[in-house]
Amino acid sequence: MSRPVQDHEILSAVFAKMDTIALTIASGALGSLALFLATAILLLQPVPENYPVGPHLSALADYLPGYSVTWVGSIAGALYGFLIGAVAGFAAAVYWNLAHYVALGVMLISSAELAD
Amino acid sequence: MGNYENMQAVNHSESGINLKLLHAAIRFNSLILGLTGGTLFAVIVYFATHASIARWGDDSGNYLGLLAVFFPGYSVTASGAWIGAFWAFIYMGTFSFLSYRLYGRVLGTRISEVLLSTAPSDNPVLKPSVMRLHGMSLGMAIGAMAALGLFGSTAWLVLRGTAQESVHAALLSNYIPGYSVSLLGGLIGAIQLFAFVFLGCLLLAAVYNTIVKLRHQ
Repeated sequence: MSRPVQDHEILSAVFAKMDTIALTIASGALGSLALFLATAILLLQPVPENYPVGPHLSALADYLPGYSVTWVGSIAGALYGFLIGAVAGFAAAVYWNLAHYVALGVMLISSAELAD
Repeated sequence: MGNYENMQAVNHSESGINLKLLHAAIRFNSLILGLTGGTLFAVIVYFATHASIARWGDDSGNYLGLLAVFFPGYSVTASGAWIGAFWAFIYMGTFSFLSYRLYGRVLGTRISEVLLSTAPSDNPVLKPSVMRLHGMSLGMAIGAMAALGLFGSTAWLVLRGTAQESVHAALLSNYIPGYSVSLLGGLIGAIQLFAFVFLGCLLLAAVYNTIVKLRHQ
């Protein structure tokens, strides 16, 4: 049977900070896998001869130089996916922690004013 | 019985958990995540629009312009970038807010499981613990919201009468077998998307928690 949750644990959970490095790497890994699979799934589908493979996904090459819907391109996509995911994860973790610090600051100032 | 004891008796459930504090905690973090997700997506749409304009000039907006289906008033122009940022904030802010609400609800009284250490801190506010992620709850919450989003956007395409012309949305069937731009196809796609997102969240939480454990223990 699980023990009751203490109040300090709930408060700790509210103000727990995100590990920036861990979220950066985890999001990067997920982004890498996602773009690799997105490319690989198209490559594994049967396509008539001389028919373009993934013309819409290939448009990513406009933003990601070197990327293409080929097996070599899927490796480049995995690297780009890691980079994009990592940047998103880093930004999310930093913003999350920052928003908590700002909210905390506002609360402390408000409580100080109330005490006065 | 004093005021504090009265408050304790009213707020605590039979198992001794302060439900009022727990619900306030979930509400607070939902707002923070809503703000985080909304702001980040707004910035992405704003800069993606300007990047498209800078790259292609008058020819820009072939793909990005499709957002106008869901973002009323949006266009790949300088003023359209602000409108896009506004809608992106609304959509992603709501998505993130509801995701955390659901995450908190699913996690519920197991909230201490997301903390690296449950040992009492001198001050949980000024000396915060490091957060861990609960993969199952995260997968349930984000998976459900993603599924709802896919079904809702498909239903919108059907309701506005452009389902047949929605060739780009139909391309999702490459990744989500069974999906089509119809109500039934949207429902089948939503169930499958839930499963994919659920697995993705399990992976994200596993990698994140492993790194947290390595770095802090």
